[in-house]
Amino acid sequence: MSKDPFQHITDAELLEKFYSEHDTKWLGIVLQRYTFLLLGVCMKYLKNEEAAKDAVQQIFLKAILELGKYKVDYLKSWLYMVAKNHCLMQLRNKHTTVPVDEQPMLMEEKDDFYDQTNKEIALDLLELALNELTLEQKTCVKLFYLEKQSYHEITGITGYSLLQVKSFIQNGKRNLKILVEKKMHAKE
Amino acid sequence: MSELKNILQTEDALSSESLLNYLQGNASKEEHHAIERLMADSPFVNDAIEGLQHFKDPELIKEYIAELNRQVQKQTAKKNEKKTKRRLKDQNWLVIAILAILFLCIAGYFLILFIL
Repeated sequence: MSKDPFQHITDAELLEKFYSEHDTKWLGIVLQRYTFLLLGVCMKYLKNEEAAKDAVQQIFLKAILELGKYKVDYLKSWLYMVAKNHCLMQLRNKHTTVPVDEQPMLMEEKDDFYDQTNKEIALDLLELALNELTLEQKTCVKLFYLEKQSYHEITGITGYSLLQVKSFIQNGKRNLKILVEKKMHAKE
Repeated sequence: MSELKNILQTEDALSSESLLNYLQGNASKEEHHAIERLMADSPFVNDAIEGLQHFKDPELIKEYIAELNRQVQKQTAKKNEKKTKRRLKDQNWLVIAILAILFLCIAGYFLILFIL
């Protein structure tokens, strides 16, 4: 597990190098950043270590082929979508029932909403918004972000299941963002 | 309460070492929290970690990653090599064609000179 010598170069920059120099070496470098995550996603769906490894191999081949054909802006989200689709197709071919899952949107997961407005968000706005969340979301968000408790510790404290804790945190954060945005617009 | 602001911040990079530590239960409290924050932010990371937890032996993950990385390096390097080889071949033909045209021009010139 060697360190990435191109760590300082972003995915987008590496992809740009690939598109301008037509050198697949750059593609190799950027894809290796996702081996870990892709193996995990394939394992989650296929539940077999060998099958997951083979799937990642095929996803890489597909990525090398497709990325040469057209431009992809958000590699991370694109790879996630390709991996999920690949696994779901495999499961479908095996005639397993597949839960209907929402398609991930092809956009950067990291949004710069907060980075842009970092300085402008008043603490009282956040506190107000936090109090508007449902009790479960508020409790989990506070324990997780403010008291830095782990998922497992939170299940112990609250008695919710791991799945519930995760979803309360994710939805809580999303709602918090929406509430803060609304309040900021109202202020303007 | 200044911690409050951190809620909306998104976490960045994920190092494979800290991820492995997390899977093996050896992560420090900070590492542990950082990874769970990433999971809360990104469904990709969340799915991946849930999947990696199914591996019976985390050491096997390392092996698989190394193998997959070696393969992708080979695939991306090989294609490149082929391309440069082909480019060289194309260039050879180009040189031959130019020489042939030059030769024909010169031969034509002398032929016309000879006829006249």
